[in-house]
Amino acid sequence: MIVSIRIALQTLGLTLSLSAQAQADIVAVVSAESSITRLSTGQLADIFLGKVSRFPDGSLAVPVDLSDGSAERDQFYAKVTGKTPAQIKAYWSKIIFTGRGQPPKAVQNGSDMKKYVAANIDAIGYIDSTMVDNSVRVLR
Amino acid sequence: MLLKIIACSVLAVACPATAIGSNDSPSPTFSLGGFGTFGVVHSDQDRADFTAQPFEAEGAGHSHRWSVDVDSLFGLQASARLTSKLSAVLQIISQQNYDASYTPHVEWANLKYQFTPDLSMRVGRTALGLFLVTDSRHIGFTNPWVRPPIELYGLVSVTSNDGLDVSYRLQIGDVRNTFQAAIGQTRYKFPVPNSDADGTADSKKQLSLVDSYEWGPATIRLTYGQAHVTITAFDPLFDAFRQFGPQGAGIADKYDVDDRIVSFFGFSASYEPGDWFAMAEWGRVDTHSVLGTKTGWYTSGGYRFGKVTPFVTYAQVRADTNTSDPGLNLSGLPPALAGTAESLNAELNESLAAIASQSTVSIGARWDIRKSVDLKLQFDRTRLGSNSQGWLTNLQPGFQLGSYLDIISASIDFVF
Repeated sequence: MIVSIRIALQTLGLTLSLSAQAQADIVAVVSAESSITRLSTGQLADIFLGKVSRFPDGSLAVPVDLSDGSAERDQFYAKVTGKTPAQIKAYWSKIIFTGRGQPPKAVQNGSDMKKYVAANIDAIGYIDSTMVDNSVRVLR
Repeated sequence: MLLKIIACSVLAVACPATAIGSNDSPSPTFSLGGFGTFGVVHSDQDRADFTAQPFEAEGAGHSHRWSVDVDSLFGLQASARLTSKLSAVLQIISQQNYDASYTPHVEWANLKYQFTPDLSMRVGRTALGLFLVTDSRHIGFTNPWVRPPIELYGLVSVTSNDGLDVSYRLQIGDVRNTFQAAIGQTRYKFPVPNSDADGTADSKKQLSLVDSYEWGPATIRLTYGQAHVTITAFDPLFDAFRQFGPQGAGIADKYDVDDRIVSFFGFSASYEPGDWFAMAEWGRVDTHSVLGTKTGWYTSGGYRFGKVTPFVTYAQVRADTNTSDPGLNLSGLPPALAGTAESLNAELNESLAAIASQSTVSIGARWDIRKSVDLKLQFDRTRLGSNSQGWLTNLQPGFQLGSYLDIISASIDFVF
């Protein structure tokens, strides 16, 4: 009986992860070692737009981007900031060319992102939800 | 982008967009970027020039029917992150100068020290951000319009400060407060209309305070600026007035621009939730001189339809002080002196009439052609205040004060 429930749950889990894959959901992640568990969309936007440099608990927040032009990056910014790639480009141009700062560092792909975030307790990034494993924590 | 690639390969340095080191990488990183605008402007007023900034020698209308000199510019910026706290920036811009040349100038060159993530200090030539988009006015790509409304932005044309500034950021609940204080000086050259001469504006003991509050998509900014300004181009006129006894000295003392305390107060509010934007900005400059006291403001809004963002702007500037003066009393003067006095009076009144007063309705659209390139079209209808030449320059015989003009502008902006 217990075994059959477990199998049913596993099947259900598989179904869920398959549907997640189909939708290619982008999730914000921090290192599994990090104490951060949740951030609002507004807090995420502030961190990635360089408006704040700390998490709400006061610890340092270092955002990491996927490389310019990646579809996941555009999708993440659309979801979190509501801005188009051109708007984000204009936003950072303003910051860069007024000497007020530089955009987040960038990594080439999702697996580099996951490795980087997992290894740096201050880092915060975003990956496709299907890539999540126990090295990182998904923020809600 | 090409330059960035060259910089990366030639200098063999890590570029932030493509490489990543450890969090506080001890090795310095460099980046090189740039921006530019290619714009053409047409004005239907052929007896005067329309320019975007007062230091431009030529504009659209009289000098050129279609002018590429009004808005076009090219800028390069090199940034270096020397340590985790120390960074440097150098920005060079080529745009039309007071002598109609395109000799590049150093817009900014400063060292920044980040004491904490919220407290920083810059030393060198930095942006003087009295208006909402002053520090990014050269980067057309970051703005919705072809150019910021000159009715307000023309009040203070200085965009940089040689000195020191401190910026402090504070989070109060959901509101983010940024306070910036700057001290320093600036000197810039401007053309003297209808002559080959140029003038120099020396602005010393500059102080600027900018206090901004951000709450989600809403921003409110309060600014105060003050400087001691000297423009020697006015000296011959007022020295001549001083030859006319106490009466002339009184006029010279009232109007000369010799170590005058010029003050500015500004207020702005903007709301940019994403699909649309609305903003309004107000400012008043008090020069205590022949340059007068002026109040300017604008309100602008736009809506984004995919890659196209149409906008509407209304802007106005008015003179708060007299734009004419009876000048020297000619009665009682010997005929030989009366003639001189009369021409001095005329020259004084010509300068007073140049205190801008005008209003403009603009409609236009920005089209994001690519992620880092936009195309903008804008139509402006400007009404000059009665007896005013507005912001126009290089007036020609037959020019009518207080007339209308229509301006058509098209520009392509890019960043890399």
